[in-house]
Amino acid sequence: MRTTSSKLLCSAAALCLLAGAAAPLHANEILILSEDVPAGLDYDGPSAAIPASQQGMVTLLEPLVGYAAASTNDTGVTVPDFNTFEGRLAESWTFDAATLTWTFKLRQGVKGCNGATFNADDVIYTFQRAKSVSGAAPIGWFLSNVGSIKGFGPEVFGDDPAAKDIGDAVTKIDDYTVEIRQGEPNALFLPVLTIFGLLIFDKETMEANKTEADPWSHDYVNNTNAPGFGAYCLDTWTKNEEISYVANPDYFAGAPNVSKVTVKRVPQSSNRAVVLQTGEAQIATGLTPREFDSLRSAAGLKVGAVAGNENTFLHMNFKVPPFDNPLVRQAISHAIPFDQIIANGYFGQAMQWQGMVPSSYPGYKASAAYSYDPAKAKELLAEAGYAEGKGLEAFADAFRLSYVSEKESTLGPIVNIIQTALRDVGIPASLDPIPQTQYGDRQLVKRDLPFAINDQEKPIGVDAGYAIQLFFVTGDKGGLNNMVNYSNPAEVDDAWAAARVEPDTAKRDAATSAIQDVLARDVVWLPIVEYKTQWAHSDKLSGLRWYPDNSLRYYDLKMAE
Amino acid sequence: MLLKYVLRRLSIGLVQLLGLSIAVFFLIRLLPADPVSRLVGMNASKEAYAQAQMQLGLDRPVLTQLSIYLGFQPDVAPGLLQGSLGVSWVTGSQVTAEIAAYLPVTLELVTLSFLFAFAVAVPVGMLSALRPGGRADKGVFLYSLFAGSQPEFWWGLLFVYVFFFQLGIAPAPLGLLSPMTTPPPHITGFILIDTLLAGQPAKFVEAAHHLMLPVLNLTFVLSGPIIKMVRQNMLRALQSDFVLYANSIGLPRKVVARYALRAAMAPSMTLIGILYGFMLSGAVLVETVFSLGGIGQYSVRSVLAFDYPAIQGVVLVITAISLIVYLLLDLIHAAIDPRIAY
Repeated sequence: MRTTSSKLLCSAAALCLLAGAAAPLHANEILILSEDVPAGLDYDGPSAAIPASQQGMVTLLEPLVGYAAASTNDTGVTVPDFNTFEGRLAESWTFDAATLTWTFKLRQGVKGCNGATFNADDVIYTFQRAKSVSGAAPIGWFLSNVGSIKGFGPEVFGDDPAAKDIGDAVTKIDDYTVEIRQGEPNALFLPVLTIFGLLIFDKETMEANKTEADPWSHDYVNNTNAPGFGAYCLDTWTKNEEISYVANPDYFAGAPNVSKVTVKRVPQSSNRAVVLQTGEAQIATGLTPREFDSLRSAAGLKVGAVAGNENTFLHMNFKVPPFDNPLVRQAISHAIPFDQIIANGYFGQAMQWQGMVPSSYPGYKASAAYSYDPAKAKELLAEAGYAEGKGLEAFADAFRLSYVSEKESTLGPIVNIIQTALRDVGIPASLDPIPQTQYGDRQLVKRDLPFAINDQEKPIGVDAGYAIQLFFVTGDKGGLNNMVNYSNPAEVDDAWAAARVEPDTAKRDAATSAIQDVLARDVVWLPIVEYKTQWAHSDKLSGLRWYPDNSLRYYDLKMAE
Repeated sequence: MLLKYVLRRLSIGLVQLLGLSIAVFFLIRLLPADPVSRLVGMNASKEAYAQAQMQLGLDRPVLTQLSIYLGFQPDVAPGLLQGSLGVSWVTGSQVTAEIAAYLPVTLELVTLSFLFAFAVAVPVGMLSALRPGGRADKGVFLYSLFAGSQPEFWWGLLFVYVFFFQLGIAPAPLGLLSPMTTPPPHITGFILIDTLLAGQPAKFVEAAHHLMLPVLNLTFVLSGPIIKMVRQNMLRALQSDFVLYANSIGLPRKVVARYALRAAMAPSMTLIGILYGFMLSGAVLVETVFSLGGIGQYSVRSVLAFDYPAIQGVVLVITAISLIVYLLLDLIHAAIDPRIAY
């Protein structure tokens, strides 16, 4: 027996001593620890809604235009100037208001990873592919529709193949000039061009990988590569595990400083934090607020933070009693301890949200500054006929506060604070964690979630009007994500319909501002906080820049020697 | 005779798998969410929704969907009869290819852990039974207090903290190889085998090093019930008539112990088989802690995303493996116990 035990011990010790030296990082190579890696790279494909997939797309592909940089905050993160567009693959552009035509001059000498040279054919191919609505989730069509590009209406989903043809919506003037026409005036045109769903593909490589059954190469982009003209080229990709990129030396803005980026999926956030502390990785994303807070003072690390477009709000469904009672909505708006949530849920990395659209967006108005006042909340409940909460027990099911169970580590402390605060004023709130997909189905399709906390709505169109259109316009009038079934035909739907095509910016801003006042008056959403987007990283790394899709652009990063 | 028995079991297994496939096909459609919503995301217009629904094939009648899944309409899409489990709704990849990538990781982890657990648990359980109240017995009691009192992911996180972060003798919990190491060509999917087949001993050592903690973690957790089972069965065997007889005629203690162990092993093997099947998907927490892209993680991701083809594929494959393991156990049972004949 002793012999057997000794052998076992020896074997275990030998295994312990097998310290296989892993290949070290070279200078200017970085390792990023992430909660996920791209499940696909096709923005019209099944994984387009997954943030990790979007990160892959923006790394490999490039838009026509982007936002210029504004300033760098005290944590080293540069924020964009949403009022100034700059050329990316487009060098310059002009707009003819009379014909609603945008003329883009394209950059010359830009090469993709497969050696193809960027030109007008790539732009036309990209829009034609979007209009083919051949992917599982046609995001390219959706954005073109939002930007009022001519011919991108719902008719493309019909049986008429002519409706899918690009026609004269996007035309080639010469190899480096294209024209894009709008069907109506719409200020969202340039903003939608910055979004991941209209990144430009390399037509040559895409067509080389098409098949008879898949003429738009969705399978290739979903599973093999997204060929484009981005700052990086795909090196290796194992779904669910790892993806690595190497710098594209022919990138239009010059070769990136970081020569290779490896993104490793590490599901456990505490492990991402621990490994980052050892110096084996350079960036960790998706940590909990507590973990970010603990790393803020760790040696050799920094935490970049920016008040971008991430926020948390309470969702109360107008179709579910008692949320159809304005007094109950108002009572709840005064029962939320905002400061406690900021301190204990977000460790100070948040501020009370006082509006209905992200405060960093053009057109934002601080119209919803609700105060924490439990006494007033009780008064309002009494006025509504529920003094001390009596009578509300009949709505116990409606007061089940739903939240995404996968976000338990972040939202758990917050929903507990809210539950306690609501009970303190007599509202019988309980908690209802449900899976992300179920939450999404009930929010977007069934729209039957009575009461929920939501921290995942980041309107990717950087514009107050876009947010109004998406969230607050009546569902059958285009409010695609009107999750609370709010309907105000006169003050919101009609007002926005007029503002949407208003060419005068001042008049448009005044209209969206008035709509935000109405939304705040009706407590359509109960905005709670705007929390900071954060990345923990090595202090040798700099250059982080925030984009509205919350994906990093590795091109921006600089590694100190 | 044995061959006939094996063939009969395999035939029954096929019928079981078919029944299970149909049951799972209908059961997952009772899940309380519509998978189309995940696809359309922010773009939930009626037209886009209909487009996504069509892409997933969910616009067809359920029986037509079943017929396609089983492979009776290969002109629409290949199905089970054609050896296809469909295409994942999350990644757009073939489910068979994904399972082929994820399953070996879990099989390797669980099999190594069982081998180590077996190597530890059998002698310890035997010693504990031979000397009740002795050091080994007390040690087993103490161990069961520790190992059984916390879930495996808690031990995993503790091991990472101690062996990686504090002592630095384990690698970072970043999978089977360092992210900067180029993996060997995919031949079997088993990293230890593939590194050897590729003639890359350094990578074999690296993979073994990376597997060290997760295997230790699972071994630590698995050994508890196996030790207890071996000990109990051994105690029962030691009190049986044939052992009393063996002792009374003065057979050496070692010989008696060997007889008793053989009798004790048969029921223990049953437990090991059940545990093995359970751990194929139950190792998910260990996979998560150590960033191992195994079938457990794939299952969880598929369920959370309501990815019907992936869920159906995983259930089918894990059930098939469990059926094979049970069959092998029955054969081993027969080899151990001469009273069993097929």
